[in-house]
Amino acid sequence: MNIEEKLWDYIDGTCSVEDHEAIDLLLVQDEAFRQKYLELLALNREIAAMEIEEPSMAFTYNVMENIRADYAKPPLKAAIDGRIIKIIGGFFVFTIAALLIFILVNINWSAGTTIAVPTFKMPEIKNLLSGEILKGFLFFDVVLVLFLFDTFLRKKGIAKHA
Amino acid sequence: MQSKLSDIALIVKTLAGDQSAYADLVKRHQRFVFTLAMRFTKNREDAEEVAQDCFIKAYRSLASFKQESKFSTWLYSIVYTTAMTSLRKKRVDTTSIDDEDTYIQVANTSSGYDVNDAENRSRSFYLNQAITQLTPDDATIITLFYKGEQSLEEIAQTLGIEANSVKVKLFRARQRLKEKLERNLKHEVNELI
Repeated sequence: MNIEEKLWDYIDGTCSVEDHEAIDLLLVQDEAFRQKYLELLALNREIAAMEIEEPSMAFTYNVMENIRADYAKPPLKAAIDGRIIKIIGGFFVFTIAALLIFILVNINWSAGTTIAVPTFKMPEIKNLLSGEILKGFLFFDVVLVLFLFDTFLRKKGIAKHA
Repeated sequence: MQSKLSDIALIVKTLAGDQSAYADLVKRHQRFVFTLAMRFTKNREDAEEVAQDCFIKAYRSLASFKQESKFSTWLYSIVYTTAMTSLRKKRVDTTSIDDEDTYIQVANTSSGYDVNDAENRSRSFYLNQAITQLTPDDATIITLFYKGEQSLEEIAQTLGIEANSVKVKLFRARQRLKEKLERNLKHEVNELI
């Protein structure tokens, strides 16, 4: 470690107690060492007093505008609500499971070895599409569409105000 | 007027959706972030762009800030990485501290100050001029140590190096700053004679 390095440690207060005492002694005894110390100390003070730069007046405004613009147009991945995906997925899983159960229940497990085509009774579609059920289904659809439209308009309103 | 809330309190408010809290954080740190960016870009326009980019990146990653260090340390590490990337993009030679002697990027170029202004011809002016002539690494270490209220350990965290290396680099950076300052002042005296 050279003299300058030791002196910087002394100025920064990062030197050991022993080094500190040794430098204290040298500062009293050695004039050249003292001059070097004063020179570095002056530089240290000047750097510490140095002014930092100032950005333009609109800096904060620009940053916040960029952030707002960033969040006004979210990526498609973020825009799709995960719950909708789960509901659609759940509907398909439920349909497949119901169909499987229906098939399993209708299989004649006690059938003998004779090759006989099991009779498979298709549910009566006509009954399902009776007036009451169809009306209920259409009513549910209309409510769902209105709900989604309302959500869309609310989001649009929030984005406009932001 | 800047908020008196701590950085952490402002971060909590920001994460709860209060964007004005983040604007307060930006106001609080913008001068130093801009100064750090200036150490790399050497011009105000690019520095503003880099500094803005840093604050936007910090906003996006705010939820990942673990509070294991000071917010400023975390923010400065974003500034350092962003400024380095920006510098590489512009293909400016950013030689390491060890071969700093070859670095002459901005010697004798304008540092953004009016050299004809008599008031600027102070020791402070020459100090700023000398800093702009340093490598970005040297200038950054000096700025972080003196103006960023960062300890050697925090600077090490920002730059991704060991604290001992920071100490060595800080010593060398100050040596080189002193040399540049002496050279500039000598040059000025010769011009006057």
